[in-house]
Amino acid sequence: MKMLSKKDNELLMLAMKTDTASKGDYLLIEDEKVKKKMIAQIYDEEYLSSQSLIEDIVKDEVVTASSTENLHDPLNIGILSRMLRDARMFRAKIRAAIDLSDKLSSDVTWIPSRVYSKVRRLKISELDSLLGRTGVFPIPLGKAGVDNEELEIYAEDLDGKLNIITGRKESGNSHLSKKLVKTLVQHGACVIVFDLNNEYRGIGCKQDGSPSSLADQTIVLEPGNGLTFTLGYCGKAAISNMLKNALDMPAASLREFFRIWDWLENKQTLDIEALGNAINTWNINELVRDALISRHHVIQASRIFDDNGKGDGGFRFENLIAKKCGGLAMIFNLGRVTPVVRRMIVELVLSKLVDLLEKMLIPPVFLFAEEAHLYVRDTYWEDIITRMRHFGIYATFVTNQPDAISDGIYRQVDNIFLFNFTNDIDLDKISKVSLADNDTIRSIVRTLPQRHCLSIGRIVCDLPIVIKIAALEVLTLGETKKFFIK
Amino acid sequence: MLKGKKFSFIKNDKTFVPLDGWGSKSTPYCTATITTIQPIKEDTMIYAIDSSSIQVAETEEGSLYAVKSGITMAINGCELMHFKIGPVLFYLSEETIRYSTLDHRLTKFVLFDNDLAKRLIRIRVERAIQMELSRQFSKSIILIDGSLKSSIFESKNQSIKNVAENCSLYRNSIIGISKASKLKVLDRVSLPLTKIQGPAYMDIDLIIQSLVRNTIGNNLMVKLGNNSIPVLRADIVTTHGDKDESLGKLLGNDSIIQGYPETLRLAHHISTFTSTETSCLIGHVLSNYDVTEIASEDIRKTLLGSIPV
Repeated sequence: MKMLSKKDNELLMLAMKTDTASKGDYLLIEDEKVKKKMIAQIYDEEYLSSQSLIEDIVKDEVVTASSTENLHDPLNIGILSRMLRDARMFRAKIRAAIDLSDKLSSDVTWIPSRVYSKVRRLKISELDSLLGRTGVFPIPLGKAGVDNEELEIYAEDLDGKLNIITGRKESGNSHLSKKLVKTLVQHGACVIVFDLNNEYRGIGCKQDGSPSSLADQTIVLEPGNGLTFTLGYCGKAAISNMLKNALDMPAASLREFFRIWDWLENKQTLDIEALGNAINTWNINELVRDALISRHHVIQASRIFDDNGKGDGGFRFENLIAKKCGGLAMIFNLGRVTPVVRRMIVELVLSKLVDLLEKMLIPPVFLFAEEAHLYVRDTYWEDIITRMRHFGIYATFVTNQPDAISDGIYRQVDNIFLFNFTNDIDLDKISKVSLADNDTIRSIVRTLPQRHCLSIGRIVCDLPIVIKIAALEVLTLGETKKFFIK
Repeated sequence: MLKGKKFSFIKNDKTFVPLDGWGSKSTPYCTATITTIQPIKEDTMIYAIDSSSIQVAETEEGSLYAVKSGITMAINGCELMHFKIGPVLFYLSEETIRYSTLDHRLTKFVLFDNDLAKRLIRIRVERAIQMELSRQFSKSIILIDGSLKSSIFESKNQSIKNVAENCSLYRNSIIGISKASKLKVLDRVSLPLTKIQGPAYMDIDLIIQSLVRNTIGNNLMVKLGNNSIPVLRADIVTTHGDKDESLGKLLGNDSIIQGYPETLRLAHHISTFTSTETSCLIGHVLSNYDVTEIASEDIRKTLLGSIPV
């Protein structure tokens, strides 16, 4: 490989067919004269093209199409000519430099010699050692680079961070998300998943359907089946948040509700049945009563709450987390509930988690939210990424609609896992707000195969790496259901 | 003096022929009769040969040249196959030329004039191929780019005359077709042919033989297609002097597009050097023969500046 030119932070390299490198690979450019090194990443690949070369190819094509060719080429010039036709130009972005003490530096103000520079592909392991990318809790994601080197990120780099997994549908978003959930649980983390498609429960099963090593640590919760709160456990704040944000209860009705709540609490009869009775007999405006009754009916129908508080005490986060101290995947199955109930669950869960984290009753939790725009209210986004991070809720948003996430969130994101996008609008959106440069995003992401992602951010020390996500050894549910079965 | 004259302007030293001929003033030359050509659908192999040579490099003692040839074969209107021969390198210097059979004066010319050297190499390679074709096949038509004219660059036993003799011996016909002629009179002579609807030829033996020495065979102006297509000069050597039959078989077995045989067109294309090939040749020389490339400059560009002239 030879350097041809440099413009801004972009290098143009000449490569022959034998130079094995591809988009996303890192190159080490070593200037032997000044003993300096530079790291660049290939982001685009094209043919070495000149008008005469194109004319030659066209001419040859026309000639060979019209009659059978026989060659007598004693000097084998034809081989050279074919090599030239297959010559490629790599466009690479300068990412860093290596100083005389072999330390990574951002001093890229020098230009490597075109004559004395040696260019070679940098292995991922070499890159890791240069970056000093190590950790205690590895998450093996898959392979990277032309040599298919194993690549692992570290759970520490997801800890306390805001992450986004995005790509077009069926490109492998959920696959990676499940892999992260599984490994975080294996490392003892408490992970909460808002599962829209009832697919994360497969983490508890092996490919053949038998229980996996995480079977005991995977808890699937759905209304009426494990997910039943008591009003007392949720607390007035969480319930009022739910009524206000999920059920759009007006302020006047909410005030009456508080009065009823306080009365029932004083009487120590706080349950759904008593609440219903109180609403019916309370001395209030009939319109307010109607509003309260309708909300009460929705709450009753949702099956989220213990009807009379006489059950087994209802679901308690702190109990479950304390019981599964070796790691826990708490999967909230939102696939089979109505959008209103979905919003109610999310509102309750987030409010309660914040409450418990504030009281330090539970350790920090990782939150994985699939297509969160469908159930998280607009104002909650900011809460999640700013306030909740401080309480100890570390969110990972999984979506195939990058425009569903606002620019404000992208700007605060620490890690992005980008899967394939071919749509220009999506690419525009991502490239504008991403942590990497526009050219890299547009060129690499557009051609990523299925289950390959471009990882950007803290997890890769801000040097984007293309990773081929390994297969999951657990049951991967969530495939698109089809009518015509092959 | 110029008033009322018809002009055909010359651009970039290229030859242009008036689309509708020169008009009535050309008629005084037009005394030859026109014979129409009927395609003969009798299977006859057509072999077309063309070659080109370039100067690759210069040394203190001589020059390095490369030559490339193309042979195409067609029958019954279909191209069968083509052979690309080369590129082959030739190094001409006093030392290498000393052992050749070239005339002493000619070697001096060749060493001093690169164009002559290129011509020498091309003609010798072409004649060698023509000799082989003329004795390996029979009852075929061999097409050559250019006129059938003896050259001072030919070797004694591989001259165009030897090729023609072989053709007679093996009952082959040889046709030399020139795309353009330096003899301006021929443009005017060929006017009646442009008015003819189909393929036809006219004998110009007398004109050619009065102007050029060393040509062989019959000299004709031919039009190989219909409508307004260029009229070409063709020199032809046939076994029994039956020009009509040879030209008829050519029309019947080769594809004629825009009045030019497709085999000859293809031979031209496969024998010309492309800029990629030239670059590859330089690369081959640099990497295989332990040579050193020295810095050089384009004198014209240096002296005249970068404005294209």
